Amino acid sequence: MRPQSPLGEIAAVNPRRGGIVLAMVLIGCVLILSAQAPGRGGRGTVLQSWILTASAPAVNLVASASRSFWGAIGSTGELFRARAENERLRSDLDRAQRELFRLRAEVKQTAAEGRLAAGSALPGIVRSVPILLVEHRSGVLSALIAAGSTDGVVPDSPLAVPGGLVGRVVAVGRGVSRAQLLLDASAAAGARIARTGELGVIRGDGKDRLTLNNIATTSTVAPGDWIESAGIDGIYPRGIPIGRVESVSRGSKLFLEVRVAPSADFTRLTDLLLLSPSPATQENPEVGRSATR
Amino acid sequence: MKLSRIVPLLVAAAVLEFFMGGSPSHRSPVDWFLLATATVARSGDFVRAVLAGAAAGFLEDGISQRMLGLNAFAKAVIGYALTIVAVRVVFGGAIAMGAALAAAELVNESLVALLSALLLQSPIVILSRDALWRAAATGVTGGALEAAWSFPWQEWWKRRRLRRLR
Repeated sequence: MRPQSPLGEIAAVNPRRGGIVLAMVLIGCVLILSAQAPGRGGRGTVLQSWILTASAPAVNLVASASRSFWGAIGSTGELFRARAENERLRSDLDRAQRELFRLRAEVKQTAAEGRLAAGSALPGIVRSVPILLVEHRSGVLSALIAAGSTDGVVPDSPLAVPGGLVGRVVAVGRGVSRAQLLLDASAAAGARIARTGELGVIRGDGKDRLTLNNIATTSTVAPGDWIESAGIDGIYPRGIPIGRVESVSRGSKLFLEVRVAPSADFTRLTDLLLLSPSPATQENPEVGRSATR
Repeated sequence: MKLSRIVPLLVAAAVLEFFMGGSPSHRSPVDWFLLATATVARSGDFVRAVLAGAAAGFLEDGISQRMLGLNAFAKAVIGYALTIVAVRVVFGGAIAMGAALAAAELVNESLVALLSALLLQSPIVILSRDALWRAAATGVTGGALEAAWSFPWQEWWKRRRLRRLR
C-alpha cells in the first residue's frame, strides 16, 4: 500500500501519468481487438494462436501437475468411499447370504414337501412333519415328530411317505408327538391284497419286515403282489401302499404266512406326511387301540 | 511494487488458473488474474497497476477468450480504479477488500460482456449465475488472503510459544 521512496510516492500518487498510460493501454487494446484477423484454418486469431503455441509446454506441465494433484485428491476420496462401500457391501453380502441360506432351506423344505406330495395319491394330506428321532429298541419302533397339538396333530393321525404307509401318531404333545411305526412289533393295520382284494391284518415284526396275517390258504397271493391299507381298522385310510409280498409260505394253521417288504424306506425317514385322521377315530377314540396288538 | 515481483505474481496467477482448472469441476471460480492486478494496484503505482492489469488480461484472454484484449481492456481499467481506491481511500480489512474485489470482478465481467457484444455481436450477459459465483469466490478468496496477509503471525507465534513455555 505504501511506495518505497518519496520520489516514487510522488509518481505513484500522481494519477495523471497513470491516466495517460491507461489511455494508451486502452487504445492499444482497442486496436488489437479491432485488428485481430481470423487465424488460418479457423483456429482463432493469429496472435492467440502464437500465444497458445508458445505457452503450450508450460500449460501442459501445469495441467499435468494439476491433474495429478486433483487425481490424488480424488483417489483419496475414492479410497474412503471405497472403504465405506466395502463395509456396506459386506453387510449386504452377509444379509444376502443369510437370506440365501433361508431361501435354500425353504426351497429344500418345499421340494421335500413337493416330493412327498407328488406322485402319491395319499388322501387327506394335512402337512409334512419332520422327524426328530427314530427309536428302534427291542422291537419297538417309534419316532418323534416335530408337530404337536398346536399344529393340528391329533392321536391316531396316520403318517405316510409317498412310498407307503409309515405308522400313526400315538401321543401328542404341544409341539412334539410320538408316532408308532408300522414295523413296530405291536403295530397292526387292516390290509388288502391289491390284486385279489383279500383282506388281512398286517403287523410289524419289530425288525424290518411286515407279516400279512389272516390270509386263507386258498388265496392266490404270490410274491410281488401289492399290499395296501384296507381302511377297515378305523385308523388308516384305504388304498395307501404298504408293501410288496416277498414270500408266501404255508403256516401251521389255516392261514398263509405272507412276508411283506415295506414299500416305504424306513431306513431313510426324514419327513413324513401327516394325514387327516379317520372320522371313526375322532368319533370314538377307542378305535385306535385296535391297531395295537 | 517492483517488476521482479509483478512477473512472478502474474505467472503464479496463470499457474493457479490452470491448476484450479484441473479440479474435478474443471472450472476455476476465482479470478486469479484480478487478484494479481489488485495486489499490484494496492501498492499505489498507477502505471504498474495498469500495465499489470493489461498483461494479466492478455494472459487471461490467451487462455480463455476468443479475442485478445477483452480482459486486458477491463483489467487495465480495474487496475487504475483499484489504485485510485488504494491511494485515495482509507482502505483495509478483509471484508472491505473482499467486497471491493467482488465488485471489481462484476465490473470486469460487465466490461468484457459489453466489448464482446460490440465486437462479436454476442448477447450481453452480465449478471449471470456464473458471474455472481465468480465474483463471490474472488471476493472471498481476496478477503481471506488479505486477512492472512495482515495477520500478525510473528506476534501470534511468540505469544503461542510463551503460552507453551508457561
